[in-house]
Amino acid sequence: MNGYCALLAVTTGLVPALLLAASPAAAEEISALVWCDHTDEAFLKPFTDATGITVNVKDYEGTGTALSLVDQSQPGDWDVFVVDTTDVKRVVARGLLAPLNPDDFPLSDVPEAVRLPDYHTVDGKMYAVPEKFGYNAIAFDKSKVTEAQARDITTLWNPAFKGQVAIYDYYLPIIGQVAVALGKKPQDLTEADLPAIKEKLLAMRENSALVGDIVTSQTALATGQVGILAGGGEYAVAGIAADKPNLDWVLPDVGGIRWQQAIGVFADSKKKADATKFVQYVLSPAGQAALATSSCYWGMPASSKATLTPEQKKALRWDEQPTFLAKSYPYPSPTEAFDQKMQDLWAEVLQN
Amino acid sequence: MSAFLRSRLLGFADRTGALALTAGMLVFIYLPVATLVLFSFHSGRVPVPPFEGPTFDWYLKVLASDRVSGATLNSLMVGFGSSFVSTALAVLAAWGLARHRMPGRRVIEVLLYMPLAVSYLVIGLGLLLLFSTLGFGKSLWLVGIGHVVLNLPLAFVIIYAQIDREQARLEQAARDLGAGEVQVFFRITLPLLRIAILAAFVLSFTFSWDEFIVAFLLSGFDPTLPVVIWGMLRTGLDPQTNAAGTLVFLVSIIAAVLVELFLLGRRRR
Amino acid sequence: MTDTVTGVTPERKAARRQAVRGLALAAPAALWTFAFFLLPTLAIALWSFFRQQGRELVTVPGLDNYRRFFEQSAFVKGLWNSLEVTLLVTVFSVLLAYPLAWVIATRIAPRFQRLVLMLAVLPFWTSYVVRSYAWLLVLAPNGVINQTLLSLGFISEPLKLSFNQGATVLGFVHFFTMLCTLTIYSSLSRLDPKLHLAAADLGAGAFAIFWRVTLPLTMPGIASGAFLTFVVAVGDYVTPQILGGNNQLVLPQLILMQVIRRADIPMASALSMILMLLVVAAYLAAARWLTRGRA
Repeated sequence: MNGYCALLAVTTGLVPALLLAASPAAAEEISALVWCDHTDEAFLKPFTDATGITVNVKDYEGTGTALSLVDQSQPGDWDVFVVDTTDVKRVVARGLLAPLNPDDFPLSDVPEAVRLPDYHTVDGKMYAVPEKFGYNAIAFDKSKVTEAQARDITTLWNPAFKGQVAIYDYYLPIIGQVAVALGKKPQDLTEADLPAIKEKLLAMRENSALVGDIVTSQTALATGQVGILAGGGEYAVAGIAADKPNLDWVLPDVGGIRWQQAIGVFADSKKKADATKFVQYVLSPAGQAALATSSCYWGMPASSKATLTPEQKKALRWDEQPTFLAKSYPYPSPTEAFDQKMQDLWAEVLQN
Repeated sequence: MSAFLRSRLLGFADRTGALALTAGMLVFIYLPVATLVLFSFHSGRVPVPPFEGPTFDWYLKVLASDRVSGATLNSLMVGFGSSFVSTALAVLAAWGLARHRMPGRRVIEVLLYMPLAVSYLVIGLGLLLLFSTLGFGKSLWLVGIGHVVLNLPLAFVIIYAQIDREQARLEQAARDLGAGEVQVFFRITLPLLRIAILAAFVLSFTFSWDEFIVAFLLSGFDPTLPVVIWGMLRTGLDPQTNAAGTLVFLVSIIAAVLVELFLLGRRRR
Repeated sequence: MTDTVTGVTPERKAARRQAVRGLALAAPAALWTFAFFLLPTLAIALWSFFRQQGRELVTVPGLDNYRRFFEQSAFVKGLWNSLEVTLLVTVFSVLLAYPLAWVIATRIAPRFQRLVLMLAVLPFWTSYVVRSYAWLLVLAPNGVINQTLLSLGFISEPLKLSFNQGATVLGFVHFFTMLCTLTIYSSLSRLDPKLHLAAADLGAGAFAIFWRVTLPLTMPGIASGAFLTFVVAVGDYVTPQILGGNNQLVLPQLILMQVIRRADIPMASALSMILMLLVVAAYLAAARWLTRGRA
C-alpha cells in the first residue's frame, strides 16, 4: 500500500519537474499562421539553424478559418501570415497586415504572371509577397477514368460517374471552377450568379462520394475509393507520385482554377524584423525548394530560382507552367458579405 | 432422444454459441486496432493494403520528431496536472459533503455532477468564449483548466461513492481518541480512500491523455498529442500516424491494465 | 450553558461550525465548476441570442440565430442527422453489448470473467482520433473487409463502405459497444442467481425468465450505458468528421464549422443550445432507470 502512496508522490512530483523542463529557453521565436505545407520540419529547421529564431506554426485550411483564429487570439500573438493571394486585400482591409518594403525581397525572381501586383498592393503599398502556387483542377486515377474524361468538366456532374467523384472541401476554388464552366470569370462573380452555380454544385454533389480536406480526398483517391478529385491538382498527387503512379492531374479544357499563397507580416507583430527575416528565407532559393516539396502538399515555388532537382521539377511540371498559367484563373476574391453568402451556399451543398 | 443426450446436446450448443459470440465480438472489437498496429510497420508511404514490410522506420521518425515529442510532453503535463487538481478537489469536496451536515448539499452535488451531462464540445466552446471575452490567449493552461472541468465530476463520483459509513465510524473513533480534524483526514480518511483516489487519478489521466476537442479549441502553439495526431491526419498521409497512434494506445493500456490489476482486482479480495 | 444574548446553544454553534467547514471543503470544487463550467455554459446561452454581423458582434438580444436554424435547411437536416446517427448508435451498441455482457456474466467461469471483460474493452483506450482513422483503413476499397469478401467471392467489386453515415455509425458502435458492455455487465453480475432459480422453480421457461426477471433487473445498466452513449455520441465531432466524408453533417460538425470557418460564435452557441436540449430529452427518457440505478 505504501507503494501506491509512493507512486502518487512520484507522479505529482513529476508535474513541477515537467513544467520546469518545458518552460521555453529565452531564444527568439516568432509565430506564424500558415497553410500546412509550412509546418514541415525540413522546411523550418534550416531557418532556425541559420538565425536562431524558432518558428511556432499553427496551420489552417481556408481563409475563413485563419480569420477565425485571429479573432480568437490577442493582438500581437501572430507575426507571420500565409494567406491566399486573392484574400490579401480583404485581410488588409481588416488592418491585419503591415506594409512591406519591396526591396527586401527578390521579386525579380518571380515570373510576371505570378507576381500579380494588383492583388498584393493596396493604395500603392505592398502588403504581401507571392510564395507558392498550384492548381485546383482535376486529379484522377488513370486506371478508372481516361485523361479525356478528366479534361471534360461535365464529367463532374455526368451521372455515369456517380460515386466516382470526391470534392475538395474548399468553397472558393470549387465555386470558381463551376463559374468557369458556366463561362464566367471567378473574379467577376456576383450574388446573381449563385443560383446557376448552386444547381451545378448540387448535381456535382449528387455524383460525389465525399467532400474532404486535403488528406481525406488524397486518401480517397489513393485507396481507389474515387476516380476523380474535383479541386485536385499537383498538391494532391505529386507528393505520392512515386507510390501511386496511376494518379495524375489535368486542367479542364474550359480552364481551371489556380491557387496562390502570399506571405506577409502582421501589423500587430512585435517582432517585425524577425518576421521579415522569415519571409526572406521563404523567398530564398533553398526556402522555396523546401516549401515546394513540403510533405503536406507540393506546389510550384513562386521563385524561378528554387533549387529543385530535375525529378522534382518533372513532378511539378515545371516546363508546362506557361500554358497552365494562361489556362487558369485565380480564386474569387469576395467581399466579407459575399463570402458569407458563398459559405451558406457551401453548407447547403455539403448537407445535400 | 434420451433426456440426457438432449441436455448434453443443448449444453454443447450453448457453449459453442457463447464461444462463437465472444469470438465474433472480439474480432469486431480488435479489427481496427489490429489494422492500425499492423500498418504502423508498413514499409510503403501510403498506409493502405496490401501490407508490405515490416519496418520500424515510422516509429523512429515519430520518436525523432520534435512536434510529437513536444506534444507528448504537453500531454503529460496537462494529464498529470489536471488529474492532480481534479483528484484533490474531488477528495476535499467528497469529504466535505459526506461528513458534514450543511445546508445546500444537494445543490452542490448537482452542480458537481452537471458537467457529466454536457458534451465536451459545448464545454470547450464555453471556455473558448469565456476566455477570449476576458482577453486570455489560448494556451496549455486553458486546456488544463478545461480538463479539470471534464475530470472533476468523474473523480468526485468515484471518491464520493467510496466514503462509506464504516469509514465514518473509524474517523469518529480517532476523534474520540483525541485526534484533530487534520490528523483524522491525513491518518484515517486519505489512507482508507487511497484506492479510490488512485483510480480517480489514473482514470482522469487517461481521459485527459486522449481528449481531443477541448484541447483542439483551447491550445495555442503547444498542442497536446491528440491534436498533433489530428494534424498529422489532415496534413500528410503516411504510416507515421499509425505509429504515433500505436504508441498512444500503448500508454493508455498500460495505465488501464495497472488500474485493473492493482486496484480493482485488489478491492475484490 | 446558553448564550442568553443571541440565543445560540453550543449544539447549534457546533452545527454551524460543521456546516462552515463542510462548505469550505466543497468550495474549491464547487467554485471551479461554477467558474469554468456553469459560467461558460450561461455565456453560451446568452451568446446564442446575440448575432454576428460580419466582424461585429450585435449584443441586442434576439432570436435571429434560432430563426436561421429553422430557415436554413442545412441546420435542420443536421439536427435530424444527429438524431438518426445517435439513436442508431445507441440501439446497436446496446444490442451488441448485451449478449456479450450476458455471455461473460453467465457462461464464463467467475475467475476468468474480469480477464475476458478487460480483453473485450481494452481497445476502448485506443486514441480516440486514431481509432476512427483506423476504421478508415479497415473500410477502404482495398481494406481488410473488402479484400476478404472479394477473395471469398461474395462480391465482385469493392463495396463503398467508408465516407458515409454507415461508416460513422459503425465507428461509434465499435466504441460504445465496449462502454455498454461494461455497464450492462456490472448490472448482470449484481443479479442474485437465486432469483433465476426461483423463477425456474415457479415453472418459467428460459425466455420468460430473461424477459420477466433478467431484463427488467438489468435495465439500470442498459439505461446508464445508453444514456452515456447518447450524450457522448451526439456531441462528438471527430468520428463523423473522419468517417462521414462530409456527407450528412451532424450538429457538432455544423457547430465547428461556425467556430473555425466563420468565427460566428453566436450561431455556434445557438446550435450548442439545441445540442444540449437533445441531451436533456435523452435524460428525461432514461431518468426512470438512471435514478433507480443510483438508489
